Amino acid sequence: MYATYVIWSKHMTKFWRSTEELVGLALQSVLWVVLFGVGMRGMVADVGGSDYMSYILPGIIALSALGGAVGGGMVLLDERLRGITKEYLAAPIPRLSILLGNASSTATKALIQATIMLIVGVLMGARLTVNPLGWLAALLLLALFAIGFSGLALAVAAVSRSIGGYHGMIFLFNLPLLFASNALYPLSVLPGWMRVIVLLNPTTYLIDAVRSLAFGVAPTLPLLLSLVVVLLFAVLGTWLALSLFRRSIRV
Amino acid sequence: MSDMAIEARGLVKRYGDLTAVDGIDLHVEAGAIYAMLGPNGAGKTTTIGMLTTLVQPTAGEARVAGFDVVRQAKQVRSHIGVTFQDIVLDQDLTGRQVLDIHGRLYRQDGELRRKRIVDLVDLVQLGDAIDRIVKTYSGGMKRRLELARGLMTDPSVLFLDEPTQGLDPQNRTSIWSYIRDLNRQSGLTLLLTTHYMEEADALAHQVGIVDRGKLVAQGTPSGLVAQLGADVIRVRGHGDSAHFVEEIKRMPFVERVEFDGDSGNVSVYVDSGSRRLVEIVGAGGGNGYSVEDVTVARPSLGDAFLHHTGRALRD
Ligand SMILES: Nc1ncnc2c1ncn2[C@@H]1O[C@H](COP(=O)(O)OP(=O)(O)O)[C@@H](O)[C@H]1O
Ligand SMILES: [Mg+2]
Repeated sequence: MYATYVIWSKHMTKFWRSTEELVGLALQSVLWVVLFGVGMRGMVADVGGSDYMSYILPGIIALSALGGAVGGGMVLLDERLRGITKEYLAAPIPRLSILLGNASSTATKALIQATIMLIVGVLMGARLTVNPLGWLAALLLLALFAIGFSGLALAVAAVSRSIGGYHGMIFLFNLPLLFASNALYPLSVLPGWMRVIVLLNPTTYLIDAVRSLAFGVAPTLPLLLSLVVVLLFAVLGTWLALSLFRRSIRV
Repeated sequence: MSDMAIEARGLVKRYGDLTAVDGIDLHVEAGAIYAMLGPNGAGKTTTIGMLTTLVQPTAGEARVAGFDVVRQAKQVRSHIGVTFQDIVLDQDLTGRQVLDIHGRLYRQDGELRRKRIVDLVDLVQLGDAIDRIVKTYSGGMKRRLELARGLMTDPSVLFLDEPTQGLDPQNRTSIWSYIRDLNRQSGLTLLLTTHYMEEADALAHQVGIVDRGKLVAQGTPSGLVAQLGADVIRVRGHGDSAHFVEEIKRMPFVERVEFDGDSGNVSVYVDSGSRRLVEIVGAGGGNGYSVEDVTVARPSLGDAFLHHTGRALRD
């Protein structure tokens, strides 16, 4: 749909223009990798036979994808609160393209951030597998995950009444998604009850799969299962965004 | 198809218990400027919302540019331009980008967009500012940019919701002159809402007075005023105003007396203000009412508003 593309390109124009946001993004990425990776590396030599940097990089990448999605949701929220959505609603374009325009720009930003992270991580010593197909598959999974979480962020943005409310809600999702997962520690070291929670978290599956596909860490979960879970997460996020967005424009 | 640019019958919009628009009929001829005049909360924005397909009517029907606003919403959208009551602009884009993206949403090709932007920047006199970030614009410049955006796609009907709200008099009159020129030169049909009677007076061929969701009177600005009487004597004073009103109502040359409870002002419509002034003032003295201030004037749209709604129109 052409209108989707127009809205996407507008958001990307604004994104490239906002130097603060860009510099912030890049710095944030570097900081995460340096603080976590380098700091923890001194303490933990290796996990399951791979160096700690390679081990935690997928988690940090997932986290930064979340950050990108949160920023994308902000754009929708900002346009809603400022009334810019009305310009779209008065134009002869499908309603759906408003959401899709936002979703695609959000996912793009999430992916850009994930990519920066990956590069910084590799520069800092994470070891990629030699198989480019693995990288590709990992990126695809990341894109699906970004879509899922963008959906979540957009759904919240579609109903929030204020920027503060939005961040509060997002915070509720964000932290557990990272910490109640296998991002920083292996599943095997967790107590049983915690493992149940971690296994309910789609981030766990993403991270496990990306680890094995891109960094050659032995998977602890079946790869196919991980793929299905991440796919379901993407579908769920999209569906949630769609239904809440529909509700928000009905007057 | 009739030559009505806007036709509405029995438009109603309810929000729960609240009836925002309570059965409005509108007929706006192609090429006319129509002003909906009414106080805040009268239902003007909601009416525009229904006519521009943003708000789903609870009852009634409307056609804009010949298309039904519910069943042919997409056709309506491609034939209209809208500016909203609040300034709705992307602050982080340049004026040119705002116009360009708008044109792209309507699938205008690049050549046409460039040409339209040149013409519109000229019309609303934005000059070099068009390449600056909107954030740096003054209120008046933002309103002008919005007007240009509404015109970008060469609509056949343009809706302006309170186009000069919050502007200083100088910016207001320049917006008025663009609107007038547009209408004269291209025969564009305009429906605007306002709570400034001067604005309705200065621009509109037809004025609809709206109050509490209803269209209570309609006509040309001069027609609405002419119904009232030749002159109006405005009296301000204190004391037993009810008695004073009774007293002057009995005078044979008095056509109508209106009392605004909020301000305590009495408006007396007479055949000739200068000839009757002394008698009116005289009726006050010694009857428990003392007159403090008197003015004689031609009735205005504000008086017409008071007449039809029983309340004065205030900003
Ligand atoms: N979305 C809405 N939900 C509930 N009430 C609304 C909504 N929009 C408008 N109203 C109410 O409808 C009435 C008319 O509002 P509006 O059309 O904005 O008036 P105006 O533009 O003449 O000031 C007001 O009482 C307003 O509070
Ligand atoms: Mg309004």
